[in-house]
Amino acid sequence: MVAVPAIAYAEFKEAPDLAAKANAGELPSVTERLPADPEVLDLGSVGQYGGELRFGLRGSSDHNHILRMVSPQGLVRWDPQYTELIPNIAKSYDVNDDATEFTFTLHDGMKWSDGEPFTADDILFNINDLVLNEDYAPTPPRYMAGGEPLTIEKIDDLTVKFTFAAPYGDFLAELASPLGQHPVLYAKHYCSQFHPDHADDIAAVISENNAADWQNLFQQKCGDIEIPSRWGNPDRPTLDPWVVVEPYTGGATRVVMDRNPYFWQVDSEGHQLPYIDRLVAPIAQDAESLVLQIIGGNIDFALRHIDAPANRPVLAQNREAGDYKFFEARPVGGVNMVINLNLASKNPDLRALFNERDFRVALSHGINREEIIETALLGQGQPWQGGPFEDHPNYHERLATQFLEHNPDRANALLDGLGLERGSDGSRQMANGEPLRFSIDVIPTLAPEQVDMLEMISRQWADLGVQMDVNPMERTFFYERTSNSNDHDAAVWGAAVSFVPGEIPQQIVPVHHDSRWGIPWSHWYNSGGTEGEEPPESVKARMALYDQAKATADPAKRLAIIHEIADIAADEFEVFAVSKATPRFGIVKNDLRNVPESMPRSWYYATPGPTLPQIWFWDN
Amino acid sequence: MLAVYIVRRILWSIPFFFAASLVAFALIQAPPGDYITSFAASLAASGDIVDADRLEALRTRYGLDQPFIVQYWRWITGVIQGDFGISFEWQQPVSQLIWERMGLSLALAFGTLTFTWAVALPLGIFSAVKKYTIGDYLMTTIGFIGLATPNFLIALVMMYIAVVYFGADVSGLFSPEYQQAPWSFARFVDLLKHIWLPIAVLGLSATASLMRIMRANLLDELQKPYVTTARAKGLSEFRLLMKYPVRIALNPFVSTIGWAFPQLVSGAVITAVVLSLPTAGPLMLQALLAQDMYLAGAFILLLCCLSIVGMLVSDILLALVDPRIRFR
Amino acid sequence: MAVADATSGKDEQELQLASQWRLMWWAFRRHKLAVVGGTIVLLFYFIALFCEFLSPFDPESTGARDVYHPPQMLRLIYEKEDGGWGFGPHVRAMTQKRDPFTLETTFEPDPGNLIFISFLAKGTPYKLWGIIPLERRLFTASKVGEKFFLLGADRLGRDMLSRILYGARVSMTIGLVGVAISLTLGITLGGVSGYFGGRVDAIIQRLVELILALPTIPIWLGLSASLPQDWSPLTRYFAITAILSLVGWTELARVVRGRFLALRTEDFVVAARLDGASRARVIGRHMAPAMASHIIASVTLAIPLMIIAETSLSFLGLGLQPPLISWGVLLREAQNVQSIAQAPWLFIPGIAVVVAVLSLNFLGDGMRDAADPYAQGQSA
Repeated sequence: MVAVPAIAYAEFKEAPDLAAKANAGELPSVTERLPADPEVLDLGSVGQYGGELRFGLRGSSDHNHILRMVSPQGLVRWDPQYTELIPNIAKSYDVNDDATEFTFTLHDGMKWSDGEPFTADDILFNINDLVLNEDYAPTPPRYMAGGEPLTIEKIDDLTVKFTFAAPYGDFLAELASPLGQHPVLYAKHYCSQFHPDHADDIAAVISENNAADWQNLFQQKCGDIEIPSRWGNPDRPTLDPWVVVEPYTGGATRVVMDRNPYFWQVDSEGHQLPYIDRLVAPIAQDAESLVLQIIGGNIDFALRHIDAPANRPVLAQNREAGDYKFFEARPVGGVNMVINLNLASKNPDLRALFNERDFRVALSHGINREEIIETALLGQGQPWQGGPFEDHPNYHERLATQFLEHNPDRANALLDGLGLERGSDGSRQMANGEPLRFSIDVIPTLAPEQVDMLEMISRQWADLGVQMDVNPMERTFFYERTSNSNDHDAAVWGAAVSFVPGEIPQQIVPVHHDSRWGIPWSHWYNSGGTEGEEPPESVKARMALYDQAKATADPAKRLAIIHEIADIAADEFEVFAVSKATPRFGIVKNDLRNVPESMPRSWYYATPGPTLPQIWFWDN
Repeated sequence: MLAVYIVRRILWSIPFFFAASLVAFALIQAPPGDYITSFAASLAASGDIVDADRLEALRTRYGLDQPFIVQYWRWITGVIQGDFGISFEWQQPVSQLIWERMGLSLALAFGTLTFTWAVALPLGIFSAVKKYTIGDYLMTTIGFIGLATPNFLIALVMMYIAVVYFGADVSGLFSPEYQQAPWSFARFVDLLKHIWLPIAVLGLSATASLMRIMRANLLDELQKPYVTTARAKGLSEFRLLMKYPVRIALNPFVSTIGWAFPQLVSGAVITAVVLSLPTAGPLMLQALLAQDMYLAGAFILLLCCLSIVGMLVSDILLALVDPRIRFR
Repeated sequence: MAVADATSGKDEQELQLASQWRLMWWAFRRHKLAVVGGTIVLLFYFIALFCEFLSPFDPESTGARDVYHPPQMLRLIYEKEDGGWGFGPHVRAMTQKRDPFTLETTFEPDPGNLIFISFLAKGTPYKLWGIIPLERRLFTASKVGEKFFLLGADRLGRDMLSRILYGARVSMTIGLVGVAISLTLGITLGGVSGYFGGRVDAIIQRLVELILALPTIPIWLGLSASLPQDWSPLTRYFAITAILSLVGWTELARVVRGRFLALRTEDFVVAARLDGASRARVIGRHMAPAMASHIIASVTLAIPLMIIAETSLSFLGLGLQPPLISWGVLLREAQNVQSIAQAPWLFIPGIAVVVAVLSLNFLGDGMRDAADPYAQGQSA
């Protein structure tokens, strides 16, 4: 049984504007609004109420930025160090020994942002009427184990039990990730009016709202984890510290969120959180104008979109003018660019070649990593092949450090050994007499330095007689080619991982669409063998081990299995990389307190969510 | 005769509208994949495993699995009834998204057009009259520097200068406090404080070409015998200029005014992205990139309508001014 | 009088016997700026043709110690170690320092360390037009391995001068090829439309209007996004040029048609027709030359528009992409705050664009006046 101790307070304290409303009778008193046993946050220093927090959004596909600022709102969350899972919306949880049953106890008297009580029924509504409702959407794999979807049981108003058909040790970590927020996303009393099983006349509501069908209506009104309309409806009740006032819609120029009067956490002196009154997010179309807004002092906190090393000199120069300082967003491990030769390429000649381990070793030895780090990464980095860093318990030495040195002689010897003869112009030819040439797909907008790194690698490989073309393309095409239709020769992607539960180790076992070195194999795995292509034995062995790891609740045992996978991956040496992922730097205003000087940077952690922006405050 | 011409011209625009909408729809559909592909890509970017069944279900629900012509028919019949469809990305009816943006776009285009004309015509006249003088070369050079430098670059540099040296936030069209405020005089003043930058940036490139055309047209006219005659008769140089040559040189402008407007709206897209303007451009661009087809389609169709009306107007004006065209 | 102006030094008889083209040439020569513009345009095309030989270094060669290297001054006189004076083109070497936290790079002069420049010296080997293997370059560092940066270096330490020279090839030709496509389409369709009038005119005009009515960005986006992703850079280059010219030809067609409509009723056209000249002959022989001035003016305006359009398309990430080097690609790489703040020399490709556009314009102006039968120069 894991629980955070709760202290009962005779009297809770609240923000002045809420106190005024409560006195005027527009709101219930703070004691009535808070749960009987609210979670007490004892982090940082006790703050004071007031002020706005401004962060910069981009116009399209930036909804997850809002999620990061108000998250984490799952049943459980990561602690600020990203090492331990702790209860969040659940007051406590209990897992049985074989990790098939998960029981959550809720806070008594916790309320949605409109004042309605939050109970087990809300969780049941989500699981039974949405997650398990094929008419709404197929059940996400996250809520399945052993091929079967979960079942849910209401023990009482404050207790629910999730049951799986097979052990599922990673489930808690899944619930802590942003994508695991489903069970606590929908207020039944509000959202049920857009659900055909609950609404009296759903057709009328659909046409009233110009929606296409009930699914569209439901998403329009109640959103989903990862779509913009989650932040598009100010009427939707939430459990977040701030609630939407000016929504994120296609036409919006800014998003405003006000404090949630029913927020359920207090500080160590009993002040209801959050400290900051409102979040204001102006919407910029271009990342450059975001940088200018920061320099102009119009942004209080920024990490996303501006953390490329290339921006750092100009941000550093203007620290005084913009009244801000840097904070570190440290990588959890891994590399910022992994090279995936397509081992299951549709091109039989390239496929045969890529599957030669010597070929991959030769290419790895052909990369001058120091030179690339010094040039394209401004000296920020260290040669690395992948996986967690040395100081992490999950570190795997061979996986991270083999074949790192720049050794053209050995590379050439290996290539000669493969029978790749050099032609008159110095470039090598494949067995069929065709020149050895392939392209690497990359998205230039996500991480511009990847293109720079690839251009340098292309020249270094040209010295070995291997011709590589950099093939930049837009994100959608990239995804379609490299994750779906498998049309790529090779591709690059970021791989910041530390093999903790909840993360998918896609570079050591191809089980994910980011495993661009064996996409048909990942399709085979994810479809249960009906689609894609049956992988080789070594890959199948790792897939079986990965299934075991996911089912294992004991962290030590789980790590042993992951390392077993890593052993095989290190033997096979399927993927290679250039440099360790490097720390990024965000900016925060000098007067903003309780923002950690260093925080992990990961989507699964949803930076800066678990550092809890509700405890940030203005010291002025 | 003129009335017949006008009626015939208006009747023409109806099939024309459908042809334009068909081409527009085809252009939106031209890139490989559809919205579901881009949706899957954005889900994938944040690490979610995208289930193929789920995507297929969505595709069916949105009707994206239908043949092209069926999809077009569904769309265009809806449009005729005033239903622009749903924006896939925002899960909102398209009609809720476009109007304010289009309005601001038109305001910006109007401002730019006024600015351009006010600057380009006098300068064009000046450099035609003072042909091959220092002044002419200076105008030409400045104008062409404006034309030759990509808009997005000028926009960024000007923004940088404004922020770093003057501490002014010039992005967008409104200051934060006026962004959601209802229209008032103060909001209008705030708009003026922001809109000069995009107008200057957009106008700079349009001015150069307008100036050149004005100069070339006027030069042609100034060499005609009637000008010499008038000059010989002692007409003052200013009246001489304004009376006929300038008016005739303006003719080609009449024929371009119709489509100058829509071209300005769509030409402003990239500048609007850099300056974060809440105009139609950025939304259209992102809809196109995300293949959010009904949203993109609505914008393109509206711009097409603007052009069609514009052409209609300029053809009619031209027919009024120049009888040769009417009685062909 | 005016004739004497235009052709001073020519006697009357020579003038009368001169062909139309000769007259034009005389008139053209009179416009000093047009001659200067023409020279610069020729120079730019010369650069485009021989950029491999003219650039001191390989434009792709990166250098870890040259990141954002500022431009160096070319110097001639230096002090020798023995105290005497030496003469020879050189630059003063600089060393890079990088702040480990702010990552700001600064360069300090490295006194006493000079990098000498030699003409027609051996540099990194290259292939002229991708075919002829050569080693000598017009000028390069005397010592192999040393580098100098007359126009600075970019974020990967690549020599901007070499990159701009290489960029001339793509940018200058994209305008030329694109305008050639537009011109052919525009004159053919515009001419046919203007000459025949009636139904043919109506159909062609509606086609032109249809393309004009569609906003350009979706056309570019739709077409360039549908290009196959695995095309080689060169194929992509031609495809993009074709897309750009597809939008450009309509404007020309409109201009041509307008002139045709006006010209149809001119006396000399009517006279030719009454003489029994065939339609093709009337269009090609009598009407087309009469429109040359307008076409030239439109073309000089169209080339820079193509160059700019290419940069816009690059900005959207849908145009030419590195490793292909065009001015548009270079400007796109400079399109960020850190370039303005840290490396303003990255905007020099913009100056190249401006100079090219200005020269083309002056050239076009001169040609327009020279070709115009009504121009003051010959209207005596």
